[in-house]
Amino acid sequence: MSNDFILDIRNVTKRFPGVVALDDVSIKIKRGEIHGICGENGAGKSTLMMILKGVHPWGSYEGQIFYDDHELKLEDRSIRQASEEGIAIVYQELTLVPNMTVGENVFLGREPRTKTGINWNKLYSDTQKILDKYHLDIDANALVKNLGVGKMQMTEIAKALSENAKILILDEPTSALSEEEIVHLMEILKTLKSHGVTCIYITHKLSELFRITDTVTVLRDGRVITTQPIDKLTEDALISHMVGRKIKERFPKGNRKPGKEILRVEDLRAVDPDDNSREVIKGASFNLREGEILGIAGLMGSGRTELVSTLFGEYGRITSGKIYLDDQEVKIDSANHSMRLGISLVPEDRKKYGLVLIQDIQKNISLANLDKFSKWFKIDFNAEIKKTSEFAEKLEIKAPNLFVACQTLSGGNQQKVVIAKWLMSEPRVLIMDDPTRGIDVGAKYEIYKLMNDLAENGIAIIMISSELEEVIGMSDRIMVMSAGKSRGILEPKDFDQEKIMAMATGY
Amino acid sequence: MSETITYLKQQVRKNIQTYAIILAMIVIWILFSFLTEGRYIGAQNISNLFRQMVITSFLAIGMVLVMVTGNIDLSVGKLAGFVSVVVAQFQANIWFHYIPNRELLTTVFSVLIGIAVGTIFEVLQGYLISYLHIPAFIVTLGGQWALNGGIMIITEGKTIPANQPLFSVIAQGYLSPNIGWVFAGVVILFMVFSTLQGRRNKIKYGFKPLPMLIEVLRLIALAALIVIYVAIVNNYNGVQIPVMLLAITAVIMSYVSTNTPVGRYAYAIGGNREAARLSGVNIGKNVFNIFVLMGLMSGISGVVLASYVGYGTIAAGQGYELDAIASTVLGGTSTLGGIGTIFGAIIGSLIIASLTSGLQMMNVPAAWQYVLKGIVLVVAVYADVYLKKNR
Repeated sequence: MSNDFILDIRNVTKRFPGVVALDDVSIKIKRGEIHGICGENGAGKSTLMMILKGVHPWGSYEGQIFYDDHELKLEDRSIRQASEEGIAIVYQELTLVPNMTVGENVFLGREPRTKTGINWNKLYSDTQKILDKYHLDIDANALVKNLGVGKMQMTEIAKALSENAKILILDEPTSALSEEEIVHLMEILKTLKSHGVTCIYITHKLSELFRITDTVTVLRDGRVITTQPIDKLTEDALISHMVGRKIKERFPKGNRKPGKEILRVEDLRAVDPDDNSREVIKGASFNLREGEILGIAGLMGSGRTELVSTLFGEYGRITSGKIYLDDQEVKIDSANHSMRLGISLVPEDRKKYGLVLIQDIQKNISLANLDKFSKWFKIDFNAEIKKTSEFAEKLEIKAPNLFVACQTLSGGNQQKVVIAKWLMSEPRVLIMDDPTRGIDVGAKYEIYKLMNDLAENGIAIIMISSELEEVIGMSDRIMVMSAGKSRGILEPKDFDQEKIMAMATGY
Repeated sequence: MSETITYLKQQVRKNIQTYAIILAMIVIWILFSFLTEGRYIGAQNISNLFRQMVITSFLAIGMVLVMVTGNIDLSVGKLAGFVSVVVAQFQANIWFHYIPNRELLTTVFSVLIGIAVGTIFEVLQGYLISYLHIPAFIVTLGGQWALNGGIMIITEGKTIPANQPLFSVIAQGYLSPNIGWVFAGVVILFMVFSTLQGRRNKIKYGFKPLPMLIEVLRLIALAALIVIYVAIVNNYNGVQIPVMLLAITAVIMSYVSTNTPVGRYAYAIGGNREAARLSGVNIGKNVFNIFVLMGLMSGISGVVLASYVGYGTIAAGQGYELDAIASTVLGGTSTLGGIGTIFGAIIGSLIIASLTSGLQMMNVPAAWQYVLKGIVLVVAVYADVYLKKNR
């Protein structure tokens, strides 16, 4: 093994009908390093990963890829072949079977056999060996569905390592993790590195690149912009490489003037509607004023999503506490009711909860607002097109026309479709659950600007965010939650990452 | 002109599955015409073929919407059968005692009772599925068994006649050639009128309507199809009344599926239930509505069935639900929900009827007819999957 580079991608070009997804891309990845790849959505990161995994097989692209001194020729659809070569991907969407144990998942499809069946003892002891070797703190016998997102991800990593992965590709690994879990993941990656495993780390989050990677490659519009050691780069430099222009500030300054109180929640408690013994909200109190952005910070599982879904009438069963809208007590029992009161929710996970992916932009935007265009049980298509295109233009949704399926859009544009849907319902209170998750820097900025515009027009916004910088950058006040309780509301003079983390992790 | 061609190209690409299945149907027709030395395409056979597809087509229309919401209904075959024996029972044993010699009245009552029975049964099933959250597969399987028992109870194993002349007209009657032409004329006028109305509305909203050339071509093509069809069937007995009923129902239900919130919500629920729920769509109520529509269709189907065969039997409606499901799937309806059209289901149903008719005409034994139809169904769906992947 004379070569320093485990993976040598040379002049790879991949064309799709009408688009060049990768344009003469060359990247060299050193043995044993953690190599970050960043770029906006549509920059070509996914395409590159698909090639390394064999989804786009050898021959469907131009150029060559050398791996461990031989040319990598993955054949059509042989994803297994990539694993055998030692290339493993930990996907953004976790791909585990929830009703199986950690061990079963790790060896899924490769179960050790006895003469007549599966050798369960070997399966579990082998799993445990891997878990121990890389300090992965999970029980091999635990059911995956009972694990948190962080541990599910560890299971995925264990699965990859059990296949003797030499290169581990992590695609947006932290997008669903809490700060604590991120710290843990970083530890694991360092352990892997010390065992000589090479990692390719794809992310939008710049801070993580500085925390963990050795080298960073920036992609933009299918081209490699630069590959540099991380210590030669600054955050500003990275951003300008990624977006191709200078962004002066990540968070646009608004001119918001919070007005009178519109919503007040007093000591709200609620239980899981499917399991009344499980209390998910254990006392939340806050108020919200017209034209302000109230940030909600908290770790995954702190009850923040549960709180807003309960406010929206779609999740928890309220056991005590009161909700006041304009000083009138309200009992919201469904999304429909909530909308009529003027409260809208842009849900987390747009693919799962926000969009009908197989339907077009127009139908998605109008879904929550059909009664606006319907008379006598009939939808007035012309009115619908007119109104949806107004919103699509206002939000600058980039698509050939309104009749393309949402599954073909980039993450940022998908999020804009969801927001357009809710703006059309003319809310007075707009709740946004992690609105910028998994979208690129440029699109984030546009969404921030939009939020400012809305607040300046008097709409009250509640924004949940996993990124502390975002909460601090965008909020007028911040409510911190942990363990289902609201821990207090911070004013701007107290906005401080450490302070928020301390409140979010304290019990 | 170039605008017209781009538009046509776009349409073909967008609806490639629909065109593929129409093409498949034409291929089947040509094939059988050769194999039967032209008898297949003769007026008598065409007339019968369309008549034969009617009963499952009514079921398929409802089934498309049920499947679009991501559900299934295994009870509709037996429900149509049950409706047919109930109607037969009234025809044979009840009207006679209470309102004899009032044929028009008893026919109207029979139809209304049939539709009511179908609808009420699906109201019950729809309630169990939408509000008590019992899986549709289970509820309707149970429904199928219960209806089977119901049919046995009502018929007591015997055949019940339902052959009053006026009642028979529903499925066996024909329009006289002249009235057939008038009907065709009315339909064509309606199409012209609604096209013009559509253009006016677009202009009112400041949109550019499609080039006139395209609209004219489309109207001419549709009008030609109608004229050819009427000319052919007029050569035999005339336009079949059940086919006319089916056409009207299909147009109305197609309108419901695309132009009303009920239809739009059905597609959204099937496409992403959670997103629809969070968009304020009342999932329970909408799924319930769709099952009620299914009941309406089953009721109509059962009435037509009774009129078509002229009696109610213990085997009435046996297996029709699977024919209906096969028709929808052949017509491009996704078994996962969210996708499907009523037009497609009608074409699917026509393909199955065309196959059956052709194979019968060639004296293929019944056993082999099943084998061939099974193969065609699976191959057709594979072709659909293949087309989607390699588009």
